[in-house]
Amino acid sequence: MLILSELENDALIEIFNIGVGQAAAAMSAIVNEAVLMSVPSISFVDRREAARLLDDKDPDAERICGVSQHYEGAFSTKAILMFPEDKSLEIVRLMVGEAVPLEELTEMEQEAMCEIGNIILNSCVGTLANIFQHELHGSLPQYHVGTSDEILRASGSAPDTVVLMLHIDFLLERHQIQGYVAFVLDLSALHDLQHQIGRYIARAMGQD
Amino acid sequence: MPNSPPAHRLSLLQGVLSAINMGAIVLDHEQRIVLWNAWMRRYSGLSEAQVLGEDFFACFPALAEGRVAMAIHQALANNFPSLLSQSLNKAPFALFASAAAAERQERIQQAIEIAPITVEGAERHCLIQISDVSIAVAREKLLREQALVLRSETFADSLTGIANRRHFDVAIGREHRRARRNGQPLSLLMIDIDHFKPYNDHYGHQKGDQCLIRAARAMAAVLKRPCDLMARYGGEEFGIILPDTDLVQAQRLAEAIRASVVALQIPHAQHSSAPQVTVSIGVATLHADAQHGIETLIGAADRALYQAKHGGRNRCACVLPE
Repeated sequence: MLILSELENDALIEIFNIGVGQAAAAMSAIVNEAVLMSVPSISFVDRREAARLLDDKDPDAERICGVSQHYEGAFSTKAILMFPEDKSLEIVRLMVGEAVPLEELTEMEQEAMCEIGNIILNSCVGTLANIFQHELHGSLPQYHVGTSDEILRASGSAPDTVVLMLHIDFLLERHQIQGYVAFVLDLSALHDLQHQIGRYIARAMGQD
Repeated sequence: MPNSPPAHRLSLLQGVLSAINMGAIVLDHEQRIVLWNAWMRRYSGLSEAQVLGEDFFACFPALAEGRVAMAIHQALANNFPSLLSQSLNKAPFALFASAAAAERQERIQQAIEIAPITVEGAERHCLIQISDVSIAVAREKLLREQALVLRSETFADSLTGIANRRHFDVAIGREHRRARRNGQPLSLLMIDIDHFKPYNDHYGHQKGDQCLIRAARAMAAVLKRPCDLMARYGGEEFGIILPDTDLVQAQRLAEAIRASVVALQIPHAQHSSAPQVTVSIGVATLHADAQHGIETLIGAADRALYQAKHGGRNRCACVLPE
């Protein structure tokens, strides 16, 4: 699915790397240890394809943990941070430093996962909003467990909805963990996003 | 309610704010405290008069750097709400359930939400909501403790409390691999309580159990390193795994263990050669460069134990694996 030009694509990757960089700094401050995050690539896919992308990564990990937030303003989107369930257990335990791991995330650990999602999503969307010079309004994070399709579908979106997938590399205590942030965009939101990127590039090139 | 006069509405909202069972603080755009509810007054010990109109970070300097400050900034500058979980933020506010808790410096466990609020005719404010999650935190602590007990029980002998046979089998495999990888010797002691069946028949099973418990405790006390593992191998048989221990060191340790049981002076009227409970110990060592398997080590320790029994009991013997 071709949505953006190479230039627009690179601009978005750069913006998201600034965002996750801020999130990583905030998380380092919490755990008092180096946390590194980067966005090596992004892709635009339809919802079905997005679910497949997540499942193919690790066919055994059927369950995905997701943290979602809604944003509204210059463009509207539902943003979801997603990790395979075992990876989210790993992240939370590395962050919380719990010595006795249980099979599933406990209530308190789910909340910690929500906070991690909250930090990452707010940083990504916040950077985007600042660069677009528009303010967005955000909701509080919600925690989900299920198949990738269930989590993506929870937004009530049609299967042909466009999903902007950010591949996220997460490095903590020598553990490398890969996850995704999905921005679920309907057609008008996609149009708004393209418009904003166009404006940003024009400004950056001094044509505005 | 929709048609009620503004003054009534205001008083109603104030009533609600002071009745809700959570902390509510509102900051204006300049981060000054403009609302402080009864819950906050009760658990912080600070009255409205002390904090209203004050700069939030002047009141709480410890929060000026870190997640609370970041979340307030996110709300006021970016219009984004934040969640501060109890697990990642250990009780940021100095809130205490009682005077006694305050004395112990035992803060209420907190889950915090910081959200932007739009105020007509003014710049954006933010609301800090604090919930007491102490009960949930205590419940999870209990859950973890029970999981820990459950896990250790599967690997412990219920009578003596030391490791069981299952633990022994797992540990010896692990230590054997480690010894080979690190090029270190590995020793094994096989211990048997002498004439235990006659002891049981003579004194009864309760005394027999007591004897096992006391002997196990005394022998375990001789071991000083955390890597040494003593397990109940069978009825009155014990096994001790000694990583990075050569034959001479293992023999010395075996002798100390034998003496520790003698020192208990548990009377044994049916003993063939002593008036008290004693043990026989078989010692075997795999040398650092040996290529033998675990079975060879266990076999050698078994043969050594047989030699010690045959040689008159209450003694140690060693056999080199071949």
